[in-house]
Amino acid sequence: MENKKKISILTGHFGSGKTEIAINLALAERKKFDKVAINDLDVINPYFRTRDVVELFKQNDVELIAPKDRLASSDLPIVSGEIYRVLHDPGYRVIVDAGGDKDGAKALGQYYNEWEKFHPELLFVLNANRPYVSTIEGAAYTVKQIENASRLKVTGIINNANVGGMTTMEEIFKGLDLSLRLSEELNIPFLYSCISSQLKEDATEFMQNQKVVFIDRYMKVPWES
Amino acid sequence: MGKVLMKGNEVLAEAAVHADCRYYFGYPITPQSELVAYMARRLPEVGGLFLQAESEIAAINMVYGAASTGVRVMTSSSSPGFSLKQEGISYLVGSELPAVIVNIVRGGPGLGNIQPAQSDYFQVTKGGGHGDYHIPVLAPSTLQEIVDLTMDAFDIADKYRSPVIIMGDGMLGQMMEPVEFKEKVESKQFDKSWATTGTRGDGGPKIITSLELDADSLEKRNTLLQKKFAEMKEQEVRYETYCTEDADYIIVAYGTVARIAMNAINKARETGLKIGLIRPISLWPFPEKPFEETRKRVKGYISVEMSAGQMIEDVRLAVNGHAPVDFYGRTGGVVPTQEEIYEKIITVAGGLKYEHENGI
Repeated sequence: MENKKKISILTGHFGSGKTEIAINLALAERKKFDKVAINDLDVINPYFRTRDVVELFKQNDVELIAPKDRLASSDLPIVSGEIYRVLHDPGYRVIVDAGGDKDGAKALGQYYNEWEKFHPELLFVLNANRPYVSTIEGAAYTVKQIENASRLKVTGIINNANVGGMTTMEEIFKGLDLSLRLSEELNIPFLYSCISSQLKEDATEFMQNQKVVFIDRYMKVPWES
Repeated sequence: MGKVLMKGNEVLAEAAVHADCRYYFGYPITPQSELVAYMARRLPEVGGLFLQAESEIAAINMVYGAASTGVRVMTSSSSPGFSLKQEGISYLVGSELPAVIVNIVRGGPGLGNIQPAQSDYFQVTKGGGHGDYHIPVLAPSTLQEIVDLTMDAFDIADKYRSPVIIMGDGMLGQMMEPVEFKEKVESKQFDKSWATTGTRGDGGPKIITSLELDADSLEKRNTLLQKKFAEMKEQEVRYETYCTEDADYIIVAYGTVARIAMNAINKARETGLKIGLIRPISLWPFPEKPFEETRKRVKGYISVEMSAGQMIEDVRLAVNGHAPVDFYGRTGGVVPTQEEIYEKIITVAGGLKYEHENGI
């Protein structure tokens, strides 16, 4: 197995949708690998974190590495020490969900030696419908800041354009355009677009020329059943 | 500008900027820190000033200073930090200064936790600081509503020369929804001749103070304040109703809890139970009209809260003995589920015997 296939780090601006993509990726990868671990390194958000769907991971036999028990619902800047175990175990497919922006990416910097050794892919998730990253300048600035804080280089860009439940293909096309321009500007490969599985039918035309990963949403508010 | 996906805390900040707020003083606390972070980045872009104070107490007194010059100013916090601001808020009322104060409520009392709650209801509606006063309190339930109510909050503050509170639970601050900032309409003009911006030999000195040593003078000031509160009670009531026309039972809920309750109401209606909703948008002044219109014909009300039974007191006052008022609430940062509210409806409206008088 190639080293870079083994570890995927999801990064992006604040509120880009990294967590949803990380969860979906972990569940999908579990079908290919016996041991999949998802690491919640989010030290930014107090709610709506990977650790909030602990039951989902249990059901799907995905190992969740995150602050446990009462520390799980704290807003302390802590990460679990267990990440080293899965990083160094060659049997694991590892997904890392970092917090947003440079502040969230900072938590990645401490694993510098591991990254040197294992060459993870660093994926930049872009939702063009969020403030400050809807322009090429804003998006490029965020990438640079994340790279500096994480001591890593972004290896791929993911288009995750959405406005929640009101998303239409129009947003996804616009997000694709921005992602492609960002890819060209920074000379970083564009990988694929993430689209809510609810838009599967609408995305038929888009899929003819574009690589698409359909995702389900797990971070829900109490009035969503 | 089209739809953007934002966090509630970011929407509060951006809406304030849209309302021409150019000054923000605050101190970070979960779960409202994104508001502080957003303002730190946003205000310099529009020629405003952001300052992270050394404490919540310092921040609210900086707000006092800025408000004295007649500018639009905001501060925000969450429960423990909001408690710290109470002295300053009382001073703002006493000195008749306009300002907008946001409280994104978390579980208490004390340090509590960082989960969503509505347990600061008494504090915001009954006067959290010292002295005889009330402050208009607006409680949005969607992120789009935050946009509108934040604009209103600044207008109400200027109109009455009074602080205005926007209260949401932690979930409202943390959740993401699409919002649209519509083309800006011309801001209303308010009299700011009282502002202490320096005299230029064009009149007597202007003084902003809440100190009034003479008892008769202070009573006069209180009388004026009471007049103002009476006018607010007349003019600034906001609420929404849902399916109350034919309702046998009415749920009373505000903020995000109203959205959860709505689903329970719809489910109950599917089974033939006639349930409605009154959603107070202004927590003070509390909307009495929708109760006056329904209290003689409904079989009862259920106050649903993320607190141990606080709004229920205002509901009882508004119902004034005409119908029974029941309660369902969760505390400590636990959010009531649709199923729990539905069960409560079934227990109360479906004639089942229920175990506790007060749900919790």
